[in-house]
Formats: sequence, structure tokens, C-alpha cells
Amino acid sequence: MNKLLSVIAIIMTLAVASCHHVEEWPDDPVGNFDALWTGIDRHYCFLDEKGIDWDSVYSVYRPQVSDQTDPVALFNICSDMLDELRDGHVNITSPFATSYYKKWWSDYPQNYNERLVDEYYLHFGGFTRGGFTYAILPDSIAYVRYSTFASTPGDATLDWMLMLLRDCHGMVFDIRDNGGGSISYVETIVSRFIDRRILAGYITHKSGPGHNEFSEPYAYYFDPVADGRFRWDKPVVVLTNRSTFSAANNFASVMSSLPQVTLIGDRTGGGSGMPFSSEMPCGWSYRFSASPVYDAEMRLTEFGVDPDIRVDLDPEMALKGIDTILETALEFLRNKETDSDSR
Amino acid sequence: MRLHLLLISFLMFALPAFAVDSDSTVAVVRPVLSSYSLEIGSAHQCDTYLTPLHYSGWQTAFDYERMQAMRHDPDRNVMALGARLSVARTLNQAGTAAMWSIALCPRWAMMWRYRVGCGFTLAGGGGVAASIGAVSLMRNGNNPVSARAAITAGITGMAVWNGSLGHLPVTIFYRPSMPLIGAFFSPDYDELYYEIWLGNHKGLCHAAWPGSYFRLDNQLAADLHFGATTLRIGYRCDITSTKAAGIVSRDITHAFVIGVTAEWISLRAGSRRTPDARIISALYE
Repeated sequence: MNKLLSVIAIIMTLAVASCHHVEEWPDDPVGNFDALWTGIDRHYCFLDEKGIDWDSVYSVYRPQVSDQTDPVALFNICSDMLDELRDGHVNITSPFATSYYKKWWSDYPQNYNERLVDEYYLHFGGFTRGGFTYAILPDSIAYVRYSTFASTPGDATLDWMLMLLRDCHGMVFDIRDNGGGSISYVETIVSRFIDRRILAGYITHKSGPGHNEFSEPYAYYFDPVADGRFRWDKPVVVLTNRSTFSAANNFASVMSSLPQVTLIGDRTGGGSGMPFSSEMPCGWSYRFSASPVYDAEMRLTEFGVDPDIRVDLDPEMALKGIDTILETALEFLRNKETDSDSR
Repeated sequence: MRLHLLLISFLMFALPAFAVDSDSTVAVVRPVLSSYSLEIGSAHQCDTYLTPLHYSGWQTAFDYERMQAMRHDPDRNVMALGARLSVARTLNQAGTAAMWSIALCPRWAMMWRYRVGCGFTLAGGGGVAASIGAVSLMRNGNNPVSARAAITAGITGMAVWNGSLGHLPVTIFYRPSMPLIGAFFSPDYDELYYEIWLGNHKGLCHAAWPGSYFRLDNQLAADLHFGATTLRIGYRCDITSTKAAGIVSRDITHAFVIGVTAEWISLRAGSRRTPDARIISALYE
């Protein structure tokens, strides 16, 4: 029996020794900092695209951390370090705060005032359902606002909305201040604006820890919604601002490739790296871009999608109840209607 | 085993003839040994697709197995068929996040056994196994789940001692098994399941060998024969470590095992067992 137990002990020891190595860091300020820096070094996907020397970032921030660094100070140092990535998809979450890089929108005019649209264009009316607010504006122009891609765009909601708006000759699709959500909803909505399969873009991902290790770009396609569902084939203007981010940025990118779609407003905020999450030994989580998404022409939209017509919201006109971006869109659609009538 | 146990088992398990010899007169009886075990213990997990941290917590599992001496050369050949359903919940060291995992592992093995004497039997053979499950870390946004799937062929063995502790008949056995070859699923380094869902299925299947898919399942148990009832108590240690596309996953569980076993035979209608039929058990003597 003793021999049997000895054999078992040997086998178990060999088995544990056979496990693959996983690098570990101590749960102290330096260990946590190193874990975060290493995680970004091995997984963040835009270091080269943005010309970031991550080693030099380490040399700047690492000396600020010592064994005496308290959690709040460590959080601030880590947060400042992550801001060097200039990415709205990157943040760190502790029990007391979540860091948030804001400059992708805070350095630019907001170009959107929801109250302005609600009060002077919708007159606090219209229908609201599934993340959509929609109404018919004067001159038979449909107005649709989709405020977040976190709201599920249900097929029934889309059917009803497009049916109720079917007599309009143009549509304003407002995604200003839409900070994204689920990218799978992009196809759900785009499928209502296409009548054949389209190349939506390319997706790739980090395939290893090296800064240049990426998979082959994979082309992905969107299909039109099934027959029998309502589709929209008339002119569309998509309104964008710097706070149009992530999935909304992807939506703008895909919609801009459609012939009947025009983008009006400001450049979108970007955010084309699909985010991953990871953790530090102290239990704080952090998020970073790991999987770049490109548009149909293989252009990176991390830095935003440019509008076809660049317009800012005029603050003085806003005080008079006029949204100059929306007005530009309405004028554009009215001219489209006039052009089609004259033909 | 005793006659009344066989008869009771027969009444309890009126299942299709699986253990029946085709002759109308049965000279060799190969009872099926069914075991139902509950495992409760600790789990230690790591999956670098989800997090580089190690998680620890509890795990529980239900295991069913049937063993039987095979029709061909039943004194030497034994077959085992089983399945295990396990659930684990673990926490990171700081206790700020919980990881849940679930796995279903069906398996089949065939062993050749050799009776050493003095109640000792050694057995060795091979088998196939599958594993399907998932590990979730729900606070992750786009990578909240790591799917697990594998199909492998490997070796298994068994060392058995049949004896008694005082007046109590006891069977003690140690049974390790280890896959040697097969295939398993893993996404690429930082590949999102969204990309897989879009249709990119390239490079998801990886060759399994001990360098990429190491697993050692150890079971040490004692079957205590209390009359018609056999109580199984034991210890199980299951170690799995995989590495593919730069992703390392590791699951180590230690569990206390408690269960019941029963031997039963079924006879085809019209056949009968001769009074002096030999009973060849898969595990017991």
C-alpha cells in the first residue's frame, strides 16, 4: 500500500510540474503596475498605429510607483499611463473609480443638444421604442434618433418604425452622442438599408504578444433583412459628432459606403478597436483595444470617420431653437427631393 | 457477489440485455458495475484568454460510470463507460470577480488486467474521451466566456486491491488516465468570439498532445461493501493544462468523492443462469 501511495505522489508531483507556465505578478503597487503595463504591451493593438513608444511610457511612469504608493495614487498613475494610448476604449476600474480618457470628444465642440431637437423639432412628441426616437418632420422628412447601441433594435420595432415613416421621401438618422454598445446591432440596422449583400469591412486581431503580430484581415459581410420585412431605399442623412463612438463609429463607417447615404456633422470619435478585458493582481479590471476593425476599403477608423458635409452646431442659432447640423440635413434632403422631382 | 444482490439488482434494473451471453444457459455472468458519485472539493483555475490571474474556489461534480468484464476473455478484459458533469465557482485573489465553469466529459475505456495475487490486480489500456464546457468571467465585456471542447484518446490504468478491513470487505483502487492525442478548441490569442461568429473559423482546432493538452485524472477510492450496498469514498484530483495560440488554461481540482455502486445483471427472456455460473466482476473479487 505504501508503494502505491508513493507512486501516486510521484505522479501527482510530475503532473503539477507539467502544467504550462503562467506569468504572475505580486499583489503590491509595483507588481500591479507591471502587470498592467505588460498586459497592454502584449495585447493593445494600436501601439504602432499611434506611434506610441510603450517602453518609454514605462520609463516615465514606473519610477512614480513604489511599495509605499497608496491605491488612489496608483490608480491615478495607471490612469495617466493609459491616457497615453489616446483611446476611449481603454480604462481601468477599481472599487472606487473608473478611469476614462475623454479627449477624443472633450477637445471638440459637442455639436449636439438633445433638448434642442426634442423641443424645437419633435415638440416633445414622436415615438420612442427600443432605443429609437422617431417622428415625421415638416416636408415629409423622417427623423430617427438612435441614442445607444446598447439598446436592442428589435425586428418588430424596426418594421413598425419604417412602416410608419414609409411616406417620407428622406430620412435623418441621428447618431450624435451615440457612444456605442453592441456591434452586432450594426448589422441589424444596416440590413434595413441594403438590398443585397455588402462588404461591411475587415476585422483582425492580435495573434501574439508582439506589437506587429496580427491575424490576416477577415472580410465580413452584411446581408439585407429577410424578404417581407420593411426596408428603406430612399435618401438617408446620418448625423455624427465627436461623441459618435465605437459601434456607432462602425455604423457610420458602413453606412457611408452606401450610395444613398450622406454623413453630415462632425468627424466621429473613432473607437474601431474591439475591446478586451483583463485584470491586475489587486483585482482591478482594465479594458483595452485588441481587435482592429477596418472599413470596406481597408481603412482604419480608429481616428474617426469624416462626414461628407462638415457642419458645426452654431451656439447662437441653438439659442434661437435651430440645430444647424439638422437644418443642413433637412435642406440637403429637400434639395434631393427637388432634384428627383425635376428629373 | 452474493446471489441476493444479483437478484435485487436484476429487479431494480430491468434494462435491455447488455450483459447477457447469447446462450440460453448462461455459464459466465458478467455483472455491470454501476457507480454514482458526487464530488465536492476545491478548484484552482486560470485562463489567460479571460484573465492572467489565478482563481480559487469550490467545485462539485456528478460522475456516473459502468464497468464490465468484456465478452471476449472476460477474465482479462474490462470496459468502462462513464460521464462526468462538473461545476465550479472560483474567485480571484482579491475577491473582486467570480469565474464560473461547467464541463461535461463522457469517456470510454478498455483495459487489460492482470491478477497479481494477494488480492492485487493491475490493469492498463486505452480509451477515448470528450470534453465540452465553458468558463465565464462575466465582468469582462467582449471576452466574458472561454469555450472548451476537446476529443482525445489516451491511456488509462488501474491498481486494485480486494481485501478486508476487519470483517468489512473492501476494494481499494487507484485509477489514473491521461490523454495522449486528439484535438481541442481554442480561439486565437486575442480573437473575439464575435469574429468567430462572423465566420472566421481559421485556426480554431489544435492538435492535442501532452505538450499542448496535458490532463491527468487521478482517482483513489475505497469501496466498502456493506451487505447489498457498496459505499464508495475517495479522492479525485483532475489536472488539466492547455496551451494554444499563446493562451494558457489550467484547471486543478481536488475533490472528496462519495458514492454508491451496485453490480447487476440482466438476462434475456428465456435464458437463465446456471447455479454454478462463474461471476466475473469488473472490479471486485
